[in-house]
Amino acid sequence: MYHLLLKSFFRTKIFWLSLVLLISVGIISILIGKQYLVKQEKTIVAAQAFQKESIKRNLEYHNDDLGLLLYYLRFTLIKKPENISAISIGQSDVNPLLQTVTIRGLEGQKYDANFENPSLLMSGNLDLGFVIIYLFPLVLIAMTFNLYSEEEELGTWRILSAQTSAKAKFLFKKLVVRIGFVFAILIFLMLMASAILQIPYSANFWAIFMQSLLYLLFWSVLCFFMVSLLKNSSFNALALISIWVTLTILFPALVNNYVLNKYQVPEALDAMVEQRDGYHEKWDLEKDATMTGFYEAYPQFKKYDVPEDKFSWIWYYGMQHMGDLAAKNKSAEMKEKIMMRNTISEKIALFVPTMHAQLSFNNLAGTDMVSHLNFLKALTEYHETLRLSFYTKIFDYNPADVIDWETHEAKFYKSKRDFSWLYLMLPTLLITLIITIFGGLNLRKL
Amino acid sequence: MRKRIIYLLAGQLWKDAFRSKVMSVTLGLMIFLLIFSTYSGWENYHDQNYTRDIIQDQVQQSWENNPDKHPHRMAHYGSFALRLKHILSVFDLGMENFVGNAVFLEAHKQNTVNFSEASMSTGLLRFGDVSLAMLLKVIVPLLIFYLGFASIARERQNGTLKLLIGQGISRKEIVFGKWLGLWGLSLIFLFSIFLVVLVFLLMESHDTSYKDSMLRFGVLVISYIIFFAILSAITILVSAFSKTAKGALIKLLGIWLLFVIILPKSLQAIGYYLYPTPSKIEMETAVEYDLVKQGDSHNPDDPHFNALKDSVLLAHNVKKVGDLPFNYGGFVMAKGEALSTAIYLEHQERLYKVYNKQNNLERSSAFLNPYTAIKNLSMGFSGTDFKSFLHFKDKAEAYRYKLAQDMNQLQMDFIPNKGKEGPNKISNDYWKKFPPFEYQFLSISKVFKNELISILALLLWSILTVFGLLRLSTNLKAI
Repeated sequence: MYHLLLKSFFRTKIFWLSLVLLISVGIISILIGKQYLVKQEKTIVAAQAFQKESIKRNLEYHNDDLGLLLYYLRFTLIKKPENISAISIGQSDVNPLLQTVTIRGLEGQKYDANFENPSLLMSGNLDLGFVIIYLFPLVLIAMTFNLYSEEEELGTWRILSAQTSAKAKFLFKKLVVRIGFVFAILIFLMLMASAILQIPYSANFWAIFMQSLLYLLFWSVLCFFMVSLLKNSSFNALALISIWVTLTILFPALVNNYVLNKYQVPEALDAMVEQRDGYHEKWDLEKDATMTGFYEAYPQFKKYDVPEDKFSWIWYYGMQHMGDLAAKNKSAEMKEKIMMRNTISEKIALFVPTMHAQLSFNNLAGTDMVSHLNFLKALTEYHETLRLSFYTKIFDYNPADVIDWETHEAKFYKSKRDFSWLYLMLPTLLITLIITIFGGLNLRKL
Repeated sequence: MRKRIIYLLAGQLWKDAFRSKVMSVTLGLMIFLLIFSTYSGWENYHDQNYTRDIIQDQVQQSWENNPDKHPHRMAHYGSFALRLKHILSVFDLGMENFVGNAVFLEAHKQNTVNFSEASMSTGLLRFGDVSLAMLLKVIVPLLIFYLGFASIARERQNGTLKLLIGQGISRKEIVFGKWLGLWGLSLIFLFSIFLVVLVFLLMESHDTSYKDSMLRFGVLVISYIIFFAILSAITILVSAFSKTAKGALIKLLGIWLLFVIILPKSLQAIGYYLYPTPSKIEMETAVEYDLVKQGDSHNPDDPHFNALKDSVLLAHNVKKVGDLPFNYGGFVMAKGEALSTAIYLEHQERLYKVYNKQNNLERSSAFLNPYTAIKNLSMGFSGTDFKSFLHFKDKAEAYRYKLAQDMNQLQMDFIPNKGKEGPNKISNDYWKKFPPFEYQFLSISKVFKNELISILALLLWSILTVFGLLRLSTNLKAI
């Protein structure tokens, strides 16, 4: 039976069309992922060279004044790239891979944007995640919408019903052949991706793999459900495409618009202004206005004298730090709002498999918002460690060569995050089961 | 062709449409989406611009309230430019969420425009936005296909097409009647959406001149009317040349997916693949390299700046910089600023050229894909395209440059040279005299120029449409 069904399926136009479409777009998407990884590598090499070079050059000019030297020097923190991110590039094209900062106020440097073509950002990357979320369901729809109605419309259904009592079984087998084909392509592409992009078979990779399988299973049963209604081909095509548009375009966009408007982040702009003013106004105030706050934050520097009538580095870097402190609250509020956006989106996504798939892909690939926020947190800690290690030497008016500059290379940050299999799989699994049950009930009437 | 017959056939299509279930579901959905996107578009525009206006004013006030000080400190104090949204962003969000919103303007340094909505969003942003324009560009075309796929194919399947022709109605009349009917139907959606936009234009006070925004609005309305005419014609033609209504529907759905989803995204991706851009750090490295090569004002032994010093001393016939009639530090910074800005802008220009190359693949596909034409045109005239953003960025940079150079000039004029007697600060009246940052949107003639390809493509498509309907209707098969 399966043998014959396979044979007839291989003869259809749609089989060849889907095969060519999915394989070619799939391979393109993997190559785009590859290019993305290569670009990351190039960026990192450039950043490392930049830091080395700029330390060397500035040392020549300002060897005698460490405070001035560190005014110019920039230090790099790089998010260690993971090859798995090429499957789902996510937000990592918007958010920078690395940040190079001076030890002056951090708030004014932390959010510096990446250079990327906004047209590309708008249209989004054609990564494997996109192919899985958007194109695979379309192929499933194209192959199954007339599973039953085609037989009915060609008149073969009546012949078939006369010959077999297991009509539902026949439809089911026909469906299994088609779904099996789509799954085979998915597995092939995933293996290709792991080979070309050199992704290790980590838990995260298997999680993306399983999530993709489950996601396609969801679409398969959705198509099965439509078939089980036994409507004509036009109705099925119309309904399935409408569902596709609703799930992959309309609904997520509606949620996104809602979340963006509900949680607007004017705090970002406030923090930006407050940081500047918090620093600059100190120039025109008594030195105490700076030093009280600075000593409170870092009592270990109390022993240093601050001359009232002239410039001193402790005062200068104290003022810089005051800028960060002035923006601290707004900056925290901003982060909170962004987390809120994330939480709400994830919650709603539990009910919508397309959104859930996209967000979990990004999460597992380390290209989501949370992973960037974690990077910013690490950057803040890195900045503080740098400052504290340099402060004493600056305030002691040491020459630049007391510091071993060789050790100040660009640093890597590696994110550590766990995920829960239950949270990942359960929502879509439940939805899939419910649809299956309804579809099965419909078919019993056959 | 008889007008009466065409109207009759068009009217029949309307009657059929309003009787169908698709239409009632559609209308319900559209009303919901219309309300939602109107509200969210307005809220977004209104709230964001409100906040930004306030902050821009605050920025100016704190600038003016600075006490007497050294002008170079003011150059570092700097200013901010906040990007205001165009009133028509209520209609088409375009790239609004993907470009930055605020930039810190200070001496010596071109900062990035930060805090784009995308940088503060989750991965959901990639599913797109719901805006009034999105309904017209993405959803209504699908509806046109839904409502029109059966128009001729089903008549033929039912045998009624034969009857119509038998009654002396010409094939042309049938095709044009159906086309007009479908087009008219799509205009219901179009006019209800543009009516909402018009209300906004008239009610909401905004920064652009009234004439300018009305002109932009007019262009948008006309473009979308043409776009829908093209889509309706495609629907009718596909329906006319498909054996069955089912076949027509499948083809139309394929066309929709290809036009709206697959082609634009793939071409943008391919453009990006073909023309790689340097990362930010690579560009910064290149800028610094050029700067060091040409003259580094931070380097005490820099040949460029030493030669400059010698020539200035010679020209003023003095031995030491301290004897110059102006502040030498200010002079060097002014020269340095001019040099570094020129180098930076040169690199930036090069980067944008690559962006343009990346985009042009998709942009010129408008000749194959009317959706691309309307997409770019709609963004352009709504002031939400990349060019509008660049215009803002250029203005902000020009303001930054003027600020830095004015402060350098003040330093040259009023601050004594090292070792000379005199005050080290100047009156804060000078800050008050410096004008605030005020942004004017791109002029409409510029937008026409930017969108020339899209306009040409749309016109070409409309000629093709009429031509196609005329030519192909004669070949319409009755059975």
